[in-house]
Amino acid sequence: MTLLDVENLKVTYTTEDDTVHAVNDVSFSIDEGVNYGLAGESGSGKSTIAEALLGLLPGNGTVERGKITFNGRDITSLSDTERRDMLWEDIAYIPQSAMDSLDPVMSTGDQIIQAIQAHRSVSDEKARSRVEELFEIVGLDPDRIDDYPHEFSGGMRQRVTIAMALALEPDLIIADEPTTGLDVIVQDKIIDKILEIQERMDSSLLLITHEIGVIAETCDELSILYGGKVMEQGSVDNVLVNPTNPYTMGLKNSFPEIDGSNEDAVAIPGSPPNLNHEPTACVFKDRCPFATDECGDSHPDLVSLPNRNHRSACHHVDKAAQMRRDAKNPETWDIPEAEDTATDTGEVVLETDNLEKYYEQSQSLLSQFRGEDPDYVKAVDGVSLSVRRSEVVGIAGESGCGKSTLGETMALLEDPTGGEFVFDGEPYEYYQNSNLEEFRRKVQIIFQDPFDSLNPRQTVRKLVGEPLTIHDYRSDEHEQAIIETLEKVGLTPAEKFLDQYPHELSGGQRQRVAVAKALVLDPDFLICDEPASMLDVSLKVNLLNLLRELADTEDIGIVYISHDLASLMQVSDRLAIMYLGRIIEEGAVDRIANQPKHPYTTSLLSAAPEKDPTTDRARVLLDGEPPDPVDLPTGCKFAPRCPKAEEECWATEPALDESEDEDHRAACYFPDDETAETAVEASQTDDPDQSTNAGSLSD
Amino acid sequence: MSQFQRFLAKRLAISIGLTLIAVSVIFVVLRLLPGSPFEALVTSGNLNQQQINEIRALYGLDQPMWRQYIDYMVSILTFQFGYSILRSQPVWDVLEPRLVNTLILLVPALVTTAILSSALGMYAGWNRGSLLEKSSIITTTFLRSTPVFITAIFFIIVFAYNLELVPAFGMRSVTASPEGYVDTFLSIDFLHHYLLPFTVAVLYYSGDFLLLARNGIVEKRGSEFLKLHKAKGLTEMQQLARAGRNSMLPILTYFALRLGMIFQGLILLEVVFGWPGIGRELVLAIQQQDYPLVQAAVFIMALAVIIANLAADVLYAYFDPTVSTGGGSSA
Repeated sequence: MTLLDVENLKVTYTTEDDTVHAVNDVSFSIDEGVNYGLAGESGSGKSTIAEALLGLLPGNGTVERGKITFNGRDITSLSDTERRDMLWEDIAYIPQSAMDSLDPVMSTGDQIIQAIQAHRSVSDEKARSRVEELFEIVGLDPDRIDDYPHEFSGGMRQRVTIAMALALEPDLIIADEPTTGLDVIVQDKIIDKILEIQERMDSSLLLITHEIGVIAETCDELSILYGGKVMEQGSVDNVLVNPTNPYTMGLKNSFPEIDGSNEDAVAIPGSPPNLNHEPTACVFKDRCPFATDECGDSHPDLVSLPNRNHRSACHHVDKAAQMRRDAKNPETWDIPEAEDTATDTGEVVLETDNLEKYYEQSQSLLSQFRGEDPDYVKAVDGVSLSVRRSEVVGIAGESGCGKSTLGETMALLEDPTGGEFVFDGEPYEYYQNSNLEEFRRKVQIIFQDPFDSLNPRQTVRKLVGEPLTIHDYRSDEHEQAIIETLEKVGLTPAEKFLDQYPHELSGGQRQRVAVAKALVLDPDFLICDEPASMLDVSLKVNLLNLLRELADTEDIGIVYISHDLASLMQVSDRLAIMYLGRIIEEGAVDRIANQPKHPYTTSLLSAAPEKDPTTDRARVLLDGEPPDPVDLPTGCKFAPRCPKAEEECWATEPALDESEDEDHRAACYFPDDETAETAVEASQTDDPDQSTNAGSLSD
Repeated sequence: MSQFQRFLAKRLAISIGLTLIAVSVIFVVLRLLPGSPFEALVTSGNLNQQQINEIRALYGLDQPMWRQYIDYMVSILTFQFGYSILRSQPVWDVLEPRLVNTLILLVPALVTTAILSSALGMYAGWNRGSLLEKSSIITTTFLRSTPVFITAIFFIIVFAYNLELVPAFGMRSVTASPEGYVDTFLSIDFLHHYLLPFTVAVLYYSGDFLLLARNGIVEKRGSEFLKLHKAKGLTEMQQLARAGRNSMLPILTYFALRLGMIFQGLILLEVVFGWPGIGRELVLAIQQQDYPLVQAAVFIMALAVIIANLAADVLYAYFDPTVSTGGGSSA
């Protein structure tokens, strides 16, 4: 039976001078007990649909037309009171950012109790015991219901919102990007949890995400959205395996693969459409390599493909097979084929030996008097790494593993507390004593967030030119230097961008400006700290390709820090996996991808969702969370979560060269290729979800 | 809890340090002023040098400066404020009624306005862009930026002279001679005199609270957790209550600080309404260089501000669980 039926939904936002047509005639329906996925890049209208369903549209958003029928009732015509009664009782919501979506000054238990008591007159005690029950279900410690959101880690907060969504056993749960911003491992656990619970409760799920892989693994049916239109919809198996719409093909191909196969990710060039007017042509026409005149005339209607649950909005559905073949070829999308020359790496530009960055913990006066040693948070704990020119070294790890601190220490934004640091043949002391400015010119860092790291009141010219002024570099040819750099990062024609402000640029362009800002000084070394984590897939691939190209042509060394293994595989030559301040495995990308030696690497690799719904993935769910970095176990730091840990591991810590292989080092006593199998068995035997640790790392 | 205790101990230590610094500054500044309280007596020729020396010795002013400082510190920190030089009365007897008069006028006014204006401000912020929001902002900004004595005079003209609803001046009728505080403050006559200055004080303080509350709500509106509250099916008012709870901290801080500053009185208001409060007394005492009186008054004011600050810090920790873990387990 149909649970939710959306028919020709149209939502617009009125802004000061324009109307944004965010959702245009979207139709889909969800049957009872079905998991439905809405996929699309940012700006595709997927979150707007969720907000329209829940009546959460901001003040300037209106449902222009369309019908939303839930359980036989049209919910667009409900009064406020009726809608309030329906919310949570029938439709619950798992919000996008677990970090901000819990009330910071209300205990988590109280927030769930509030949800229960808003709809049912239950006594406080009963509500409390229900909350305890819910905490148990989602794998949280029931004794912690009086804790405040800040006392939980990101993944645990998301569990709290899931518990909240389950409180009244709704018929439909809408999850809006429930795992965005979480680490792969945590993401994997959360998805596993959602599926497990939903199986048990027999409710339907509407999952909204930009990660096709997540949908492929969890959903039965999906719609692919672009520019507020449904491009393709149907059963997951049909749509993702045999896409018939050029956009779906492009989207699928732009996901970097993790398995190190030779199929490079192919980005869709261009940027999402301007939605300031009602679409008259196919919304994807401008970026579509198969577009013909016909496509300019009207947006194609959804056409049902015969004999299967599959609909596609394309004028050229009949040529789907041909398009599928062509879409894999970058030339189709007008992307110059990257020359696959084996890159010659140059001399070592930066080298660290046992680099350490400890943060002292504040101590009580009493223990200071007693002369006790303060506790240290060992953010970077003896990292030895060397980076050559023209080489991209990827650093991967969960949040809190110290990878960002490592980046900042390498950029000398943080003073190292121990170990050796050599850049360009000179030690750390050389730069610390008065040559810091030279260092600052030669080493550049690109930060995570292109929205915050650019001054909103400066034009692109000023932003990119500022480093030149500071370092008095190429002072008589400023303008030329700026233009050259902008062109280098692909902002052409550069003149067009010079006088624009950051808010006039798209996310991808902004990140390019940030890159240009770093490149304008012709650095020798570039540190990128999650530069692509805020970008959509197609933009992400563009940026990765850009960095790769820069490393090859400009002869600079690049350190790329990320938790996203797939993009690291795409861009790096060598990969270093970090866990709790230490590098636990290091080696060439191919080697790590195909034959991980350390059990932690194995679990990281296995946690990434697979975009092909036909392949089954062996999940390795790690126990618990990383231990408290102040009070670490004496032996291998990974031992408490390691499925293979034996006595030896608890006793002494394995060194990185344990495996006696120069090119592929791993700090593990039992490095072998059987890891995957043993890990799976282990995780099946005991309950993988005993998160008891508050994870002080993430607070 | 130990973390909270440590936090508290630290705050307390800072407050004590601040108090010591404040009283020392009072001592130094007063000694730096030219002249002495006896100047007037001397110049009038009523006293000879011998008598002056005797009086100075009586007050301990012939002692070396460090000795005076130590005596001063010991006395003031044990709340022995001594005798007023010009009034020949214990300082506390002079200050106490004035202080009570001021507090009885301003504390209720501040509490009233803190509650009413904050509530109004929150409601205005929630309905952003509404007529209520715009008009309330304009009105309160106007009231806040007009000097309080202008507003006061305007009110006196309208309500006391034109409408003759309330008396214009003083705290009680000339004929009334009540005994004790209860008698003084629980009379219709007092209420009659109280209404006008109370209203003006309420209006004067209202702007800050209204704007703080409004801005707090505007900032919180559209935050993710409110969206989730809304999705849970809470009513508008319940949502507003949550937003209000989340934007309460700046208001609380401001309230505590204002409460501390009330001990200085509102001098202009006291003058215009002929209210026998502490502000007027202090101005007079400074003019006459009545050391003990000024010292005591300034000490009380400084202490009030410091205690209010301390209270704000503690309340902060109590109401915002993120400030210190374990500090707000029951908030």
